[in-house]
Amino acid sequence: MAEQPLVVAALSPADPLGGADQAALEHTLRLAEALGGRSLAVTVGPAGAEEVLRQALACGVQRVLRIDGPAAADSDTTARALVAGLGLVPDLLLCGDRSSGRGTGATPAFLAARLGAAQALGLTELLLREGELTAVRRIDGRRREQLTVPLPAVCSVERGSARLRRAALPALLAARTAEIQVATVALPEPRQPVRLGPARPYRPRPLVLPAPVGTDPLARIRALTETDRPRTAARVITPAGPEAAVDELLGYLREHGYLAHLTREDDQC
Amino acid sequence: MTEPSYAGPVSASALLQQPPPARDFDVLVVGAGPAGSAAALAAARAGCSVALLERGPYPGSKNVYGGVVYGRILDELVPQWWEEMPVERWVTRRSTMVMTADQALTVDFRSQRWGTAPYNGATAHRSDLDGWLAGHAVAAGAVLVPATVATGLLRTTAGTVVGVRTDRPDGDLTAKVVIACDGVNSFLAKEAGLHPRQDNARHLTLGVKETLALPREVIEQRFGLTGRDGQDIEILGCTRGIPGGGFLYTNLESVSLGVVVGLPGLAAAKVRPEELLADLKAHPAIAPLVRGGRQVEYAAHLIPEGGYDHLPELAGDGLLVAGDAAGMCLAAGIWLEGVNFAIGAGMYAGRAAAAAIGAGDTSQAGLAGYRRALERSFVLADHRKLRKVPGLVLSERMQRQYPGLICDLAEGLFEVDNPRPKPGVWRLLRTAVRRHDISPRRLLADAITGMRAFG
Ligand SMILES: Cc1cc2nc3c(=O)[nH]c(=O)nc-3n(C[C@H](O)[C@H](O)[C@H](O)COP(=O)(O)OP(=O)(O)OC[C@H]3O[C@@H](n4cnc5c(N)ncnc54)[C@H](O)[C@@H]3O)c2cc1C
Repeated sequence: MAEQPLVVAALSPADPLGGADQAALEHTLRLAEALGGRSLAVTVGPAGAEEVLRQALACGVQRVLRIDGPAAADSDTTARALVAGLGLVPDLLLCGDRSSGRGTGATPAFLAARLGAAQALGLTELLLREGELTAVRRIDGRRREQLTVPLPAVCSVERGSARLRRAALPALLAARTAEIQVATVALPEPRQPVRLGPARPYRPRPLVLPAPVGTDPLARIRALTETDRPRTAARVITPAGPEAAVDELLGYLREHGYLAHLTREDDQC
Repeated sequence: MTEPSYAGPVSASALLQQPPPARDFDVLVVGAGPAGSAAALAAARAGCSVALLERGPYPGSKNVYGGVVYGRILDELVPQWWEEMPVERWVTRRSTMVMTADQALTVDFRSQRWGTAPYNGATAHRSDLDGWLAGHAVAAGAVLVPATVATGLLRTTAGTVVGVRTDRPDGDLTAKVVIACDGVNSFLAKEAGLHPRQDNARHLTLGVKETLALPREVIEQRFGLTGRDGQDIEILGCTRGIPGGGFLYTNLESVSLGVVVGLPGLAAAKVRPEELLADLKAHPAIAPLVRGGRQVEYAAHLIPEGGYDHLPELAGDGLLVAGDAAGMCLAAGIWLEGVNFAIGAGMYAGRAAAAAIGAGDTSQAGLAGYRRALERSFVLADHRKLRKVPGLVLSERMQRQYPGLICDLAEGLFEVDNPRPKPGVWRLLRTAVRRHDISPRRLLADAITGMRAFG
């Protein structure tokens, strides 16, 4: 690790900052402090994207960088632009777990791969404990697992995992006119995205029936529509008491083969 | 300190032992409503450094009004404003409706001249309108500081206002003049002692409004409109006798329906304002106009309706008050105009602040040009002229008896009761006056007051 670790917040360019991006920015500020390091906020986008960088400056990041590019690129292109624009592997790079809108959450994974960094995604907690970066993420069945993340790492955090601090007034005013550094990188031609066609109305799948026998058209239709199948009338019974009702129900289920695996003893309990 | 504070537990007003050596800005405007943005725009144009503080995340985010704005005053600030102002419809039909539970008489005026430049009134959404005007202030050089609440005044021990405290860390901002445009609750002016300490609720009305989405063609058919033409209907007699009135305005693809009622009357009647709005929505004269509308907004807000006789002090040392914060909304029955008054007041406040700063005297005396400018302009001239109107319009008789009287007169006049011959107008009037238990002398007195008040 370099002398002064570098913690980077990669923000999506949408103004105002989305909830997950806000959390990423707050974690960046906290971890830069905890690591005694520097903080940097970057975004890939056109000049209009500088607004989110000004918000980051107002909240206290030390440096900001705009990497010139389209506001909405696919995740891989965004990751490439970020890596090229940064020009180094930061000790820790944080982003929101998915950008607002139709984010897929794939950017951080591409980033980790391109930077050769560890990745821990979709975190609900992230902090430095005894010199180690520890994190928590949700897993199935409402459980959570704890992670220890080696550096360098890319981490994405859920919205609500940290509440962004309120910008101090002097910083807010200073950020309005601050000079914003811009990097230009050569971006590969964007790949053709998968294109969506119009949705078709719902149609149930056809049910394949054997052809009815016979030649009389009416009889064939009756057979196909099951008009002649005998209906079973509902059987109404009035058992004498709860126990009789239970016996009746169990008997019915057994008769239809549902309780084949149970013995009579099981019935008793 | 036991001095009551108007900001409640959050008041952060502070006394400074020493006036700050330098100020962050020349002019600090609190509130980016119509008054605040106009003040910031005028002061910035006059060469001042200006900060415009707004508690909402963007101008207009927290603001409520009925929906009609008269832009003439903007001629001075934004020439050809009609070409860029975010307008829904231009009002070409101006109607006044007087109703009882099952009657309604409408006086309907239409002028196509109002549908072409330079226009008259327009319906507009506040979130668009406030953002647009604040944008002009920013373009003129004002610094917009959103999502920031002024929580108190910074004053010297001598009482001079030198800035405000905000809810942000390190949040003090100093300025040579603070212009309070913080709306009807007006807590900065109250903290500065500019409002008389008395029962302010008496001069407040509560507006409740619903915006109902309807297709554009449906609105055009129901209201008899084409293109961008719009209708403004002011309604009397729809508040179960509680002092107040109602309105129905057409936007491009929605209509705004609302009632405005006096707080004391509302409290005494023990009626919820939303019940009054529901009544109005179901009234036979209104229901067919709004049928099928999908509710897209429901809002409530206070309106200061005290008029000229209940204005606060408009200037203190280092402080000016404009717009609703100074009770400048003109609410006089057939008029409900607040935005244009706020813009006018803000503009004069911004100019007066710049002039005082230029002259090096921002004391109350140095800022006195503000009131003089207002008195010369429509802002206080209209209020002065119509000072008796709020009292008349909100009077017991106007609210409870006259709507019935007027509707009965019309009904008698238009009802064909053959084989009986038509009744004379005088007989109709006499019967109606008797039925509604009105003293003819009071009626005459009110007619004269009305002539004088509006004349
Ligand atoms: C139901 C209703 C219908 C109305 N209909 C009409 C109509 O049809 N036409 C018309 O012309 N007028 C109408 N009015 C009146 C009109 O809305 C007001 O007169 C007008 O908005 C006054 O403008 P203002 O700038 O003084 O105050 P506001 O518009 O109230 O603006 C005050 C601003 O200050 C901000 N603020 C407040 N406190 C602070 C603080 N401490 N720190 C920072 N910012 C703060 C607020 O967020 C707000 O943006 C209506 C009002 C109501 C309630």
